[in-house]
Amino acid sequence: MSVILIGLSLGMLLFLLAAGLTLVFGLLGVVNFAHGSLYMLGAYVALQLVAWTGSFWLALLLAPLAVGLVGGLLERLTLRRLYGRDPAYQLLITFGYILVIEEFIRMVWGVNFRSINPPSPLAGTTELFGSTVTDYRLFIIGFGLLLSLALFFVVERTRIGIVVRAASANSAMVSCLGIDVGKVRTGVFVAGAMLAAISGVVAAPLLPLKLGMSFTIIIDCFIVVVIGGLGNIRGAILGAMLIGMMRAVGQQFAADWIFLLTYGLLIATLIFRPEGLFNVRGRTA
Amino acid sequence: MKRVLFLVLALAIVPLLVKDRGSLYFMTLIMIWCIFALGYDLVFGVTGMLSFGHAAFFGIGSYVFALVVGKNAALFLLGVVAAAVAGGAAALLMAAIALRLSGIYFSLMTLAIAELFYFAASSPLRTLTGGEDGITGVPRPAFFGVSFYDDASFYLLVLVFFALALAGSALLRRSPFGQALNGVRVNEVRADQLGFDVKALKLAVFGISGAFGGVAGALLASLMQFVNPQGLHWSTSGDVVIMSLLGGIGTLFGPLIGVAVFETLKETISSRTVHWYGILGVIFIVVTMFMPRGLHGAFERARLRFARETWR
Repeated sequence: MSVILIGLSLGMLLFLLAAGLTLVFGLLGVVNFAHGSLYMLGAYVALQLVAWTGSFWLALLLAPLAVGLVGGLLERLTLRRLYGRDPAYQLLITFGYILVIEEFIRMVWGVNFRSINPPSPLAGTTELFGSTVTDYRLFIIGFGLLLSLALFFVVERTRIGIVVRAASANSAMVSCLGIDVGKVRTGVFVAGAMLAAISGVVAAPLLPLKLGMSFTIIIDCFIVVVIGGLGNIRGAILGAMLIGMMRAVGQQFAADWIFLLTYGLLIATLIFRPEGLFNVRGRTA
Repeated sequence: MKRVLFLVLALAIVPLLVKDRGSLYFMTLIMIWCIFALGYDLVFGVTGMLSFGHAAFFGIGSYVFALVVGKNAALFLLGVVAAAVAGGAAALLMAAIALRLSGIYFSLMTLAIAELFYFAASSPLRTLTGGEDGITGVPRPAFFGVSFYDDASFYLLVLVFFALALAGSALLRRSPFGQALNGVRVNEVRADQLGFDVKALKLAVFGISGAFGGVAGALLASLMQFVNPQGLHWSTSGDVVIMSLLGGIGTLFGPLIGVAVFETLKETISSRTVHWYGILGVIFIVVTMFMPRGLHGAFERARLRFARETWR
């Protein structure tokens, strides 16, 4: 039972990340290579804020804002100039971000493993269905669920969501209707960066903070997006849960082989169902 | 071809003038990375496929070389051939899977597959690869009764491989095959409609490129006398991408300029500050934004402008 809950919490984190990646890709046509680095930056900023203020909740509020600001600056200063060019150059620019963000973290926080304690009300454990789970895991599942629902609500039911979806479908048309698509793009990039940072803060008490964490997560995130069907945010939920479960089960029974297992799933998906495991309407990208 | 010959001859004189071991080692390192970058440019510059997985072929070349040669310096050539075959085979496998996706997803897929090799080498296969510790005591070559142990003779041996790679790449670019690859980059649909088998062309060039990578990896293992998973790490793929863009993609000499500038920058900056990679990141972002054709492109443009003005 505890394996299932661990899998669910990992899946939630992966989904929040994958959602940000999908959102940015949908509108900007950019696969943000540095998404994992923004996640890592979120975790490290939270580490600093917890050290300063002692409050995890304040960190959960402020770190995403700080990382969102960084994301906005990156988009304004560099990415914006490249929208007309071959998508490969945009991918390359975001690869440049990885180098810069990693270096920034190395300069400020060093290369040693760091960690954050879960906030005190959630430090205990709970008996659930005959097994013990940490309260913090349960918090992640609940928090992730709430945030995902809020995200769906914004994207599908509000005016902001309509503008974003319309701009993804046809940005020239939207700009003819008098909407500043440049601002929408910046906004979505900031939102993506904030989602990455939120997952980083939430994940920080679970994992050791170290420089390599960005890369492991971005690859997982990419696997989720492909398995779920490219650009399909509902598929991404199922993909994230599947990978989260595989990670949790693998960790317990065959730690050395989880990487090969998840990759095996990815490659098998590409060979037998390149449109994604959960895509019913056919290929979207 | 004249410029190729000139460059190789100039490099051949170097050991007569430079006796400093450090400099020769550094030049050898540059030539090895040039072989890798030349192969990479066939995929990225000529055919227009952005691969983020080339570390795999480089690293596999190193490991296969180390495993085939063992401690026996006489097996050097066999080891290099095996590394080329392994690199090429791995590249074909990667391309066969990744080509099911296109554009950016292709790039990410190559990265994912390369990471798979990295993890495989660092843990599940550690009995074979030595895990994170790697394999030590990889020999410098000695065959037909000649030892290439010292840095000057090893430099000349690597120069032979470098010359072959450079000439091979130049010939390939001019051949009908190379022209067809150019066609695929410029307009894939048109190339397909003209009757070219686009997928077969892409697979073939990926395989060739992987063989270049394998040879470079083998030579690096022999130069450093050591192999570890770092060669398979994503940052190796990143380095070759940065080098190519820095020098100028799609040209014969661009990758060479890129490698030389990259390695020289690395030497000079990293001796002054530990934050060399961040500075590199900034340089990389600026070059990508403002000089999409790299240093080579900037030189060419300056040369053309100069020629036009003198003619006027």
